[in-house]
Amino acid sequence: MSRHVRTLCILAVLGVLACDDPAPIEGVPESLDAQLRQQFTSWNVVPIGEAPHQARAMVALGQALMFDKILSGNRDVSCATCHDPTQHLTDGLALAVGTGGSGSGPARTLGVGRAFVPRNAPTLLNSSIGLPYIFWDGRLTRFGPPLPGVILPTTDLLQAQAMLPVLNRREMRGEKGDLDVFGNPNELAQLDDTQSNAIWQGVMHRLVAMPGYVTLFNAAFPSIPPTSLTFQDMGTAIAAFQTDALMKTGSPFDRYLARDNNALSVQAKRGGVLFFGQARCSQCHNGPFLGGRDFSNSGVPQLGPGVGQAAPLDKGRGEVLNVQFYEFAFRVPPLRNVELTAPYFHNGSFATLESVVKHYNDVPTSLRTFDPSTLPASLQGSYHGDVGTINAVLATLDGRLQAPLHLTDAQIADLVAFLKSLTDPAARDLSGIVPASVPSGLPVR
Amino acid sequence: MAPSGLRAVCLVVLLVCVVSPTRAQLIPIKTIPIAQGDQFQIFPANNLGMGSASIALADSLADPFANPAMGTRLTGSRFFGSPTLYSVSRNAGGGRSLPFAVLTRRAMWYGGLALALQQVDPSRPPQPDGLFLRGGAVQVFPNSPDPVIPGPDMRAHGNEYAFAMVGRDLPGSKLSIGASALWTGLHALDGVDLLYAGSQRVAQDGHALDLRLGAVKAWPGERGDRFLEALVLHNDFAATHTVTYADQYWDPGLQIFRQRARIEHNVDQTRTWGLHFKYTVPLTSAGWRIGWIGTLNRSSHPKIPNYELANVPAIPRDPGYTTAFDLGIGLSKVRGLASFGADVVFEPIRSYTWAAAETPMSTVSGDTLAVGAKTIENHFRFANALLRLGVGRDIELPGEKKVLGLQLGLMLRSVHYNLSQQDNVQDLQRRLTTGWMEWTPTWGLSLRFPEFELRYAGRTTNGAGRPQSTFQVGWVGVDVALAGGTLLAAPDGPLNLTHVKTTTHQISLSLPLR
Repeated sequence: MSRHVRTLCILAVLGVLACDDPAPIEGVPESLDAQLRQQFTSWNVVPIGEAPHQARAMVALGQALMFDKILSGNRDVSCATCHDPTQHLTDGLALAVGTGGSGSGPARTLGVGRAFVPRNAPTLLNSSIGLPYIFWDGRLTRFGPPLPGVILPTTDLLQAQAMLPVLNRREMRGEKGDLDVFGNPNELAQLDDTQSNAIWQGVMHRLVAMPGYVTLFNAAFPSIPPTSLTFQDMGTAIAAFQTDALMKTGSPFDRYLARDNNALSVQAKRGGVLFFGQARCSQCHNGPFLGGRDFSNSGVPQLGPGVGQAAPLDKGRGEVLNVQFYEFAFRVPPLRNVELTAPYFHNGSFATLESVVKHYNDVPTSLRTFDPSTLPASLQGSYHGDVGTINAVLATLDGRLQAPLHLTDAQIADLVAFLKSLTDPAARDLSGIVPASVPSGLPVR
Repeated sequence: MAPSGLRAVCLVVLLVCVVSPTRAQLIPIKTIPIAQGDQFQIFPANNLGMGSASIALADSLADPFANPAMGTRLTGSRFFGSPTLYSVSRNAGGGRSLPFAVLTRRAMWYGGLALALQQVDPSRPPQPDGLFLRGGAVQVFPNSPDPVIPGPDMRAHGNEYAFAMVGRDLPGSKLSIGASALWTGLHALDGVDLLYAGSQRVAQDGHALDLRLGAVKAWPGERGDRFLEALVLHNDFAATHTVTYADQYWDPGLQIFRQRARIEHNVDQTRTWGLHFKYTVPLTSAGWRIGWIGTLNRSSHPKIPNYELANVPAIPRDPGYTTAFDLGIGLSKVRGLASFGADVVFEPIRSYTWAAAETPMSTVSGDTLAVGAKTIENHFRFANALLRLGVGRDIELPGEKKVLGLQLGLMLRSVHYNLSQQDNVQDLQRRLTTGWMEWTPTWGLSLRFPEFELRYAGRTTNGAGRPQSTFQVGWVGVDVALAGGTLLAAPDGPLNLTHVKTTTHQISLSLPLR
């Protein structure tokens, strides 16, 4: 073999020895789809399955109950008063107006001598999706301590949720001495607050006295005689209606989750990347519902009559658990259809999605500089903007929100576009679920 | 090696795969340094242990499978058997082949038949040494009433190969022409199951048909013959991948996470036309020869599977086409009992693929792309290089015509490419320039007796990896030539490759038939 051949072989071997592992390919930006889908995995964002089938008779009974004002002590409000289909199953108000009020939707006003319900009426859209905490303070849950003062006959959260508003004086039951819309004494309001079973029995007594409801109950519960029906059965029916009619998970985002890359606009994808990234929204709004599983003190301005011992402040989860860490923390809401359910936060203190995102852009500054003139006139006077209250809120501010996000206006617009992609088109017009009439004959609207 | 941290982001993985056990003339392409299983190294070769140097160094065993007209060099009838096995390190896969071939000559006519059966193990993500994870049913959440979704198919699957070749010498002209056909029934292409990240199993069903028409012209000379080889080929590859995924979702009724099966059918088609020339001449120095090759491949990809890499649904890469060239020069010396061969090949390739809109799509600028419009366009420009070199030495053993042969060799493949990707929806352009080198030491041992020849050859390919965890790709031998199948996928997310070695062992037995 020639010397040249040997030299060539040696050079080749040296060349091989110089080779190393596969060189990384870097420096190319990931596509928006890639970034988003990677984040879905990280934050356990998975599609929502279909709602379980509900018996027609049960749904029909639940629909009638939800829209019938017979459930309220004064026969003047139904579930749908604050969970109004025309307002996407909330009421469009910052703080809800319960019994004694007049009007509907955002135009609803307090009755004489009445007070606002201390919190915003959460939408019932997707309330049957399996949320682990119900109500803004999460007091109804299968994880935490039992509800104070109430012994619930069910462990089904959706059933239980339907049973509670009739106990609440501001929401549905009324005050002692109230007369109903016919001028008759409100017998439910006469009962003590601790008599929850008696209140429920009182409502059931009203219902089974009406032939229309007897028919509906017999169809829904054919094996239970009307005299044996309980308010829990009513909760079952309302829960069935919520499951059947109020699950709205057909948003562009849901189609995107179902592997349709074209379902989201480019702007929404950019916003999604921010949502799961720089804007840190997904640190709370994660999982299949994009929220609903956690509590956070988001530095929301305090307003309204307040709740419990902290009134006129509302310490939210902190009031339920009596734990300082959770003071001013509220349930992180699930975000599907959020575009439709303004105003936002537990007291409706922000009217638009844009204002919410701007609040999150720099929470401490937003809280300190909150302009109460942006609130409805009826609430401006109940804004607690004193330094002490602001400092108290900021003292337990969620650590994830203490640093500014430095989002630009364009990024905020992208985030809002993403949030709007969470809207199921079928949720925009829910007028189809409003019955023409209810068995009590009371007006539906 | 620790995971390389490879981030093949927003580039189209392009792997034009060789779906043929015959050599040369089909040009493989790949865009990430993915280890390739040596599935198609089946038929015997003299020069396998010499780095597969083949431009100027004749290979009497392998050449007829590459160019049927090269059967003209047959001097008699022979039977071959060449059991071959390959394995990917870290328990990442492997396979076994058992081919039999008969090559024969009658006066001016010559021909051959070959059959091969093959088992390919399921491709698996690289495991830590000594650990092998068995597949099974999908893990379901506690108390979940889900039906059991079938887990990974851990059985080996088989492929079948049938090769036929016929040729004739034209008297007085030193010209020989031949034609060959290779049919392959494919149920297991190494690594395909790992192109679908997160899938539970991938059932493959396909075929490849490779047709060749070749000619060899010789011009006698004082120092030896000059040869011009010409070849036209057509390769048609079609396969369907039936992919079962287990998708997680939230069941609002039971209020638990569940999984449901999703089955996708992905069609993979590639048609290639090729043209190949080789010209070799003896040099003035005794025993030296020099050769040149020029190869052109033109491939169309009517349908490319929607591969899903790193759990990122791929943008459909519907059609595309590739033009590839091999321009090479080879040098060899055979003198006495020593032999040497070296090839240097430059491989420019251009590939263009695109995604077509399935529905009208709004662009970031507010325009609307109609159905069928190109949403993403990928332009690849490769400048690959290939070096093959090897040495061989025969040692005469005591006794008549008993020879022990030793071979050593090396293959180097350098891949370098530029990608320009235009996203017509987002109005973005991405550019990428990258490259890597794979190197393959080879070795061989032969015992040649008048009654039979026994050969062993091996090689180990380094410098490439396989994706960890849920994504992994493996593919065909680098130097096995005839291309057919194409893999085009869009890994829009990060990939992790773990370095693996692909090691191939081949034992071939050659018996003269009298």
